[in-house]
Amino acid sequence: MSATLTTNKVKEFVSHIANNELDVWHEVKSIRKSGLEALENLDFPTTKNEYWKYSRTNRISKHAYHFNKLSEIKSDLSEVRIDGLDTYEIVMVNGFFNKELSTLPSNDLLEIKCFKDCSTGELIEYFSKNLDTISNIFSALNTAYFTDGIKIEAKGVVDKPVHLIHYSEGEKVISQPRNIFITKKHAQLSIIKSSINKNTTDFFYNSVNEFFIGENSKMNYYVIQNYEPGMNVISTNTATQEKNSNFSAFNYTLKGDWIRNNTNVFVKGENCESNLFGAYQPTGKEHIDNHTIMDHIMPNCESNEHYKGTVGDKATGVFNGKVFVRQDAQKINAFQSNNNILLSDDATMNSKPELEIYADDVKCSHGSTSGQLDEDAVFYLQSRGLSKESATALLIGAFLGEVVEKIEIPELKEAVLEMYGME
Amino acid sequence: MISIKNLHASIEGKSILNGINLEVKAGEVHAIMGPNGSGKSTLSSVLAGNEDYEITDGSVDFMGEDLLEFSTEERARMGIFLAFQYPIEIPGVSNMNFLRTAINETREAKGEEPIAAKEFLAKVKEKSALVELDNSLLKRYVNEGFSGGEKKRNEIFQMAMLEPKLAILDETDSGLDIDALKIVSHGVNTLKNKDNATVVITHYQRLLDHIVPDFVHVLYKGKIVKSGTKELALELEEKGYDWIKEEVNA
Repeated sequence: MSATLTTNKVKEFVSHIANNELDVWHEVKSIRKSGLEALENLDFPTTKNEYWKYSRTNRISKHAYHFNKLSEIKSDLSEVRIDGLDTYEIVMVNGFFNKELSTLPSNDLLEIKCFKDCSTGELIEYFSKNLDTISNIFSALNTAYFTDGIKIEAKGVVDKPVHLIHYSEGEKVISQPRNIFITKKHAQLSIIKSSINKNTTDFFYNSVNEFFIGENSKMNYYVIQNYEPGMNVISTNTATQEKNSNFSAFNYTLKGDWIRNNTNVFVKGENCESNLFGAYQPTGKEHIDNHTIMDHIMPNCESNEHYKGTVGDKATGVFNGKVFVRQDAQKINAFQSNNNILLSDDATMNSKPELEIYADDVKCSHGSTSGQLDEDAVFYLQSRGLSKESATALLIGAFLGEVVEKIEIPELKEAVLEMYGME
Repeated sequence: MISIKNLHASIEGKSILNGINLEVKAGEVHAIMGPNGSGKSTLSSVLAGNEDYEITDGSVDFMGEDLLEFSTEERARMGIFLAFQYPIEIPGVSNMNFLRTAINETREAKGEEPIAAKEFLAKVKEKSALVELDNSLLKRYVNEGFSGGEKKRNEIFQMAMLEPKLAILDETDSGLDIDALKIVSHGVNTLKNKDNATVVITHYQRLLDHIVPDFVHVLYKGKIVKSGTKELALELEEKGYDWIKEEVNA
């Protein structure tokens, strides 16, 4: 009985958005069909579901959404541009690719194509490869009703980073961008993702990115989440690494009402390096949830994961990091740590590092700490004339700065350090 | 400059200071000595505004102001400087960033413009030379991985940068070898002038060979039980504290 009722909830949710016309509907019908079929058997998760234990999605599922392809935006994009850094800019507006606002490359090393210009075969080769659409309703939802998408393919060492800018605006709008990033053999590519939102109310942003890191290639993916109020964000990233490749994902969450990031890396070749770095600092009633999977399938690889956060006021932070070392994955060095500072008695941090090892010759460690701000350090700084507020800000910046220092693009590093009040 | 009257302070209900009276004038150097647990460090913490301590009685007048009404940072901006017995390590915060912020917040509170980059660097160069603090240490994080001597020299360097009216040196000699002791003392003596004052808290007399006090006070059981000139320090060095304890307990 209850199963029927809950399925109705998904049906109702979908019925609102299904009436919308999506430009790319016809080209990728078979792909969307796989998402639709998955949705048939899915329901919105409750907190009884381990994967969603600390993040209630009711605030998302209760609304009737529509797509909204805006013709104009309320930003000249300068607010997210990085000082002194030249990039290829890709702009997506409420989930739709905007060619006029984008600056596309004109060289052979980097190919950027809208899904509309891709053949179905070209897309199917990369679509939903390591994406869990079977149990994750939001990934299935994106697959069935993605708004638009870009395929970015690096064929060599790309001269400047790709800056992906997502613009969101409106009330009860759903935005479901879908992007594919590929580094071919020996290629190198850095991607920076920024967001702008204006006049958003109960906006649902549900993105899926798939990364394919080819043999001997290197890809860095930087995400800066700095949202004004009114956004609910689910951001799912899955990366697949081939042998001798290097992939790093950096996630810096400065502000956001409600954010859930899923970052999953599947290492399918030997001699790979993978890095996952993240910082978050929810305040007020913000809710920031980072889930990661680091899956070692092949031997002789190394992974480093470090997430750090400060949680203030009545905010909630969630970290759940899973490291798998499969049976054949010998000689793996896998490190994971999560450090948190709670700034108030009402702040909550749920930290769950998990390690599953099926191989016997590996070096792995994981750990989690949650503590308070060092009162002695605050007093020391105050005794030199710093106000309590600046002493606290300086210490928070210093704490989170450790993962900001990992950024490999100097101009970006400087910009992010500045966002954290560090010079 | 500072006038402490009948100061009582406690921590977690335990009374540590039991009626301190002390008057320090501009241009003077006072030494406060005493056995372990007599309340020396508590006195310095209380003057710096450490909120762990509760003031149960008494008053402190600092240059005409009721010092106890002010927060730690306000006291620092008024010109109180505490050189810590155990300087805190602050990973991630560079010495330079920290000092620039400290100077600028003090200036801002006084309605002054932030210090110019050039002026700041020139001052850093001059003052770090005073305590022979290596420039590479300045670029590092505050006290992180510093040796005991480097930490103490960094305290005096900060003092030189902030130019306080009243410097309280809490056991600055502890953990210092003789060479470091000379460097630190040289720094303190150079900074001394007719408009500022220094309170040296120490367990041993040897620091007072280098920083010569005008007055020496003995603190015991949270009270100043004896005051004198530098000869008192020599007497304590020779005879220890037992005779003082006997006098008091008698």
